[in-house]
Amino acid sequence: MKLTIDQRWDIIDKIAKQTVTFGEYKHTLKDAIGELTIKPLTGVPIAIAVMYAFWSIFGSFAGTLFTDGFMVKLFDGYFLPWMQDIFPGAGGWLYYIIVGDPLADNCFEAFGMLTSGLFVAIGVVLPAIFIFYLMLALLEDMGYMPRLAVLIDTVLHKIGLHGYAIVPTILSLGCNVPGVTATRILETRKQRFIMMTLLAIFIPCGAQIGIMEEVIPDTMGWVLLYLIIGYFIFGYILNKIVPGKSPEFLIDVPPYRKPMLSNLTKKVWGRIAGFFKVAIPFVLLGCGIVNVLYLAGFIDWVGNVLSPVFVLWFGVPEATAGPLIAAFLRKDLAVAQLSVIEMTPYQMISAVVLVSIYFPCVATFAMMIKEGAKELLGALAVLFAVVFLYGGLIHLIGILMGVA
Amino acid sequence: MKILLMGHPNVGKSVFFNRLTGANVTESNYPGTTVDFTKGYMKIGGEDAELIDVPGTFSLDPKDKAEEVAVAMLHENKDVKVICVIDASKIERGVYLALEILEEGYPMVIALNMWDAAVDKNIRIDINNLQRILGVTVVPTVAISGEGIKELTLRLKEAKPVEIDDIIKNTGGLT
Repeated sequence: MKLTIDQRWDIIDKIAKQTVTFGEYKHTLKDAIGELTIKPLTGVPIAIAVMYAFWSIFGSFAGTLFTDGFMVKLFDGYFLPWMQDIFPGAGGWLYYIIVGDPLADNCFEAFGMLTSGLFVAIGVVLPAIFIFYLMLALLEDMGYMPRLAVLIDTVLHKIGLHGYAIVPTILSLGCNVPGVTATRILETRKQRFIMMTLLAIFIPCGAQIGIMEEVIPDTMGWVLLYLIIGYFIFGYILNKIVPGKSPEFLIDVPPYRKPMLSNLTKKVWGRIAGFFKVAIPFVLLGCGIVNVLYLAGFIDWVGNVLSPVFVLWFGVPEATAGPLIAAFLRKDLAVAQLSVIEMTPYQMISAVVLVSIYFPCVATFAMMIKEGAKELLGALAVLFAVVFLYGGLIHLIGILMGVA
Repeated sequence: MKILLMGHPNVGKSVFFNRLTGANVTESNYPGTTVDFTKGYMKIGGEDAELIDVPGTFSLDPKDKAEEVAVAMLHENKDVKVICVIDASKIERGVYLALEILEEGYPMVIALNMWDAAVDKNIRIDINNLQRILGVTVVPTVAISGEGIKELTLRLKEAKPVEIDDIIKNTGGLT
């Protein structure tokens, strides 16, 4: 037998009356904190403080403490010279692919599979994703995410989304792949499309942020600013042109809960294990493929052909072609590769922004196919328009500021 | 035997799932953590059972893609038993979903989860009376600490379909 909605609530009313009694409820400290973090007047400053803390812990732990303090010394001081020493056939093609430049004195310049590849993966990205996922797990398990969602709701409505879009957005800052799947919590196809497109284009993943922190610490703020502004500009435009509805959202804000150590370890460990199984092989493989393409002359050829686009339209050196090809496999690798190309600081900003926005990495791409092939086609169309327009605009801004 | 974990978002289905199967699906304190289904295996009284963790859903009328996955899992598996996980502090709306599933004839047991939080809030639930009215086994649980999980698995065999007419009668009839 099927009931109507009214009949169901009628029954539930009676059941509740006969089975549930509400005693007196005392406001606890936890409730008070819960309210402080969700009312805009106090919640917004707290949210800013939380994000700032997140950011500075990320930078000081991953960048300063681990990579600079430990990994760089280990890799550049011992591992690279050792590899250059023991690997036979310096100057040969196999040496070039595996070890890279025999004269390089740091792991970014060498660019061999087992030198730069391992250094980028383990020396730079591993500490970055470790600290990122540890802090993310803390925020998730405490129950902070829904509060952030409520606070940012109004802003995200301007780009056709609603507060809960903060969940796929933040997940994407770790890795775009789970970010794409998390778009399932959005109600309409319009919202899912906008979210998927924006995150694939504008949200740099944890690996990429980690490497930027290392190679362009002084200018990465500009890169992030360009990405954030792009996220909102193109979100605003998409909201105007994509048909469909952007409904309000109703959310149950859960009470704060004490994160359990066992769950934190499990989640972080799961991420690290995934990183070893999937990301590290991809970084090494990507490094190898790019080296083979260099040896075959393919990358120089692409650079030559696209030179007018690179130099005149985007204002970056034609050598950017190599990193752009690598970016399809791994964005972190691409940024590492960019860092050793001779260019001005502003060109570096433009080039890193281009690497971020020009195409999602292959893992994200595969997940987008799975989540909606039609949406993917639309997203790609938007992507090409964005790369062309935004890349040109960034160049123009550089020209106007006299720095390009 | 196939068992489906159904319930609202953020009531602890994934915690149950991990506890029961030893799996490792992500648990977080926000609605919408699980957006796809995961299958796992457990033993109940020596018998193999397949347990499926699905995204949370407020009703059987899905409003987003994650909820569509949950409802589709229910409808694609006609021979399942359902563990309906309900937040003990918010049983009204939990029972709404339970009723919808019972109306479709699925055998069910109910886990009144986060029982500790309900106790803290001074909410008292008469379990026996709730079982009598619904005709369904109800077990209070605290999934994260494991309380009640054993009882839930032992009493899973009590899951049976119920007549909605009986529930209506037990509540004293519709208004």
